[in-house]
Amino acid sequence: MLETRQVRNQSPPECLFSEEHVKQIKANYQDWFDNSLRDADRESEGKYFTHSGIPIKLIYTPADIDHLNYTEDIGFSGHPPYLRGVYPNMYRGRFFTVRQLAGLGAPEDCNERVCYLLDHGATGISILFDLPTVRGYNSDDPEAEGNVGACGAAVDSIWDIDAFFKDIDLGTASTNIVTHLPSTSLVIPAMYFAVAEQRGTPWTSVAGTCQNDFIMETCVGSAPEILPPQASFRMQCDVIEWVCKNIPRWNPVSYNGYNLREAGTDAVGEVGTAIANAMATADELIRRGMKIDDFAPRMSFFWDLHNDFFEEIAKCRASRKVWYQLMKERYNAQKPKSLLMRFHVQTAGVTLPATEPLNNVARSAFQGMAAVLGGCQSLHIDSYDEAYSAPTEEAALLSLRTQQILQAETGICSTVDPLAGSYYVEYLTDQMVQRIWDHINKIEGMGGLVKAVEDGWLHREISTYNMDYQKKIESGEMKIVGVNFQVAAEKETKAIEVYEYPETYSRQKTKLEKLRKERSSTKVQECLDALKDACHREENLVPHCLEAVKNLVTLGEIEETFREEFGLWAFPLL
Amino acid sequence: MERKIRVVMAKLGLDIHWRGVYLVSQFLKDSGMEVIYLGNKFPEQIVEAAVEEDADVIGLSSLGGSHLTLGPKVVRLLKERGLDHIKVFMGGVMAPKDARSLEEEHGIAKVYLPDTPMQVIIDGIRSTVALA
Ligand code: B12
Repeated sequence: MLETRQVRNQSPPECLFSEEHVKQIKANYQDWFDNSLRDADRESEGKYFTHSGIPIKLIYTPADIDHLNYTEDIGFSGHPPYLRGVYPNMYRGRFFTVRQLAGLGAPEDCNERVCYLLDHGATGISILFDLPTVRGYNSDDPEAEGNVGACGAAVDSIWDIDAFFKDIDLGTASTNIVTHLPSTSLVIPAMYFAVAEQRGTPWTSVAGTCQNDFIMETCVGSAPEILPPQASFRMQCDVIEWVCKNIPRWNPVSYNGYNLREAGTDAVGEVGTAIANAMATADELIRRGMKIDDFAPRMSFFWDLHNDFFEEIAKCRASRKVWYQLMKERYNAQKPKSLLMRFHVQTAGVTLPATEPLNNVARSAFQGMAAVLGGCQSLHIDSYDEAYSAPTEEAALLSLRTQQILQAETGICSTVDPLAGSYYVEYLTDQMVQRIWDHINKIEGMGGLVKAVEDGWLHREISTYNMDYQKKIESGEMKIVGVNFQVAAEKETKAIEVYEYPETYSRQKTKLEKLRKERSSTKVQECLDALKDACHREENLVPHCLEAVKNLVTLGEIEETFREEFGLWAFPLL
Repeated sequence: MERKIRVVMAKLGLDIHWRGVYLVSQFLKDSGMEVIYLGNKFPEQIVEAAVEEDADVIGLSSLGGSHLTLGPKVVRLLKERGLDHIKVFMGGVMAPKDARSLEEEHGIAKVYLPDTPMQVIIDGIRSTVALA
């Protein structure tokens, strides 16, 4: 077990406030508490909690953070423990990347949306796939019925990735490929790398990220066919290992705190579980002979910024410190970049109701602001039509504009970590650090994250959390404006246009027919046989997938091979 | 003793979103119904299970965009097998016009969109089954 809670340095000069000063403040506090407050105020103590359950006091003073040592516990941006930010100059040097999601219809439609966002000042690309693609089926597989192009873009073969990135220079783009599952992260990024190669763009200049997280396969989402946790975890590690050795500017994993949070956990569970996953990966890659500094600089994280403004900011700050402590103390990482926790943020979709959808503009703007105050590296702000469908062009533009307003108009990017020194924020950050460590240690104690998933522990955690959360909504304890609080007498309905792409299926089907005619079936078989073989050997699967996609093997065929070779896992139904 | 209302619940097809369906299942259970949650299934499998379980109600959750294709298919399959007495409820994310169309043209008893209080769903299922 790790013991990373630092030994508190009690010598007064090192602490934020002198011992004497703190003593005085404590006495004054007691006086204020006893004499300035009403009974009702005093009785309210112990009744306020942050979203993750940290008790909130009526007022915070230096006495609440008197154990903190500025240099060791807080420090400077770009310096250990990186609590205040990963780069010394933060947003003065480089704004967070404005990275809005785009995913709808056929690759050709999606290309239009991506170009639209880039034309309006987006600085990164993030692409989403439809459910058949995400779960590894071709558009013409029976399982795909009714879902083709519905909540993301359809990808069946390398041709689709080529169409997706028509007129986009893969040598300068920064692309986030939202594959979610390791099994598709073996294939879709391989298509991307192969397209780059075909276009003469060297792999050294290809930059981006893929989501590659086995808990997406096995826990966060449910599906008719699910690969076993061990197999999915192995694939996750294969992608990271291969990418670290071959594509120097690609982040092969984005530990998906976001999706777990949306599935149902609090801020502590979100960060703790994602870091436990990174630890499991690190242990496995070290077992395979890699060094921590070979891969740690390429691990990236993905946080969900929920409603509790200060707790979310504290979470972001704390996550950087925990990562630093982990890398330094447990893994003895040497490269400075290994010590930096970099993360993308998406605002919390689950906080956005269908009722009075325009209110979501306000919710998302606050969450986005918290992300920036928390020092994120890139950001997606959800759109007001979140509870209806993929955003319309108008809604997507408004989200993009919200980001630009944060950058250009609010002034919050002018100085580093502006909330540092707030007694409350520092207190919460310190609490978060401790609670995240407790969570990590709990998972370690169960034998690590893969085991915790196999045992259904994580599924149970999610369910319990969700029941509790929903009961609070039903009882009105958790207020949602317009839904269970300040409910309008008359329901105002704003007509929301919903994007639909019914023609995607036939377009994809036609392309697949053409592809099957043009490719060599002998070559296809050879590729699939080699892949099958590799599944049962300790051999990295990426080169086999790369070879296969170049030979026009489809995503569905590769994934079917995985399902056959690794077998299916029964999702624990609760 | 009064027979408990038997509900077979499923996620439609490839839809990965299980938060809502789990909660609805749990609340229905807590309200005294017998709930059998199937996980992700396709229409044929859902109808098969409803027969096996002697269900009064099928509950379908769709946040993945296949509500207009797979939802009506369940109703069609039930009709073909003469199982019209099984009421089909749906819930999830979809355009309000799609929800109306499912109710008015495709034989779905009721569609519950996001933000619906659980008690409304419980009462809706109870009253529909009582009338049948
Ligand atoms: C949480 C969430 C997720 C979580 C799901 C976690 C989980 N285990 O469930 C995560 C982050 C994993 C996720 C992923 C995706 N999501 Co999502 N997600 C949501 C979100 C934000 C909230 C859904 C939710 O759980 N709400 C809370 C529950 C309690 O509400 P509910 O399910 O609606 O249930 C209520 C009613 O609908 C009804 N109900 C629901 N089911 C049933 C069933 C019956 C029988 C009855 C009677 C009633 C009923 O009762 C409930 C109480 O009122 C919605 C947007 C939103 N605000 O609704 C998007 C949303 C559903 N997601 C969407 C998409 C596209 C995706 C992705 C496919 C994106 C992609 N292409 O990568 C991915 C899936 C990728 C993958 N690899 O798995 C889209 C769907 C668009 C569409 N249908 O056209 C939405 C609408 C967001 C958007 N605007 O783009 N998502």
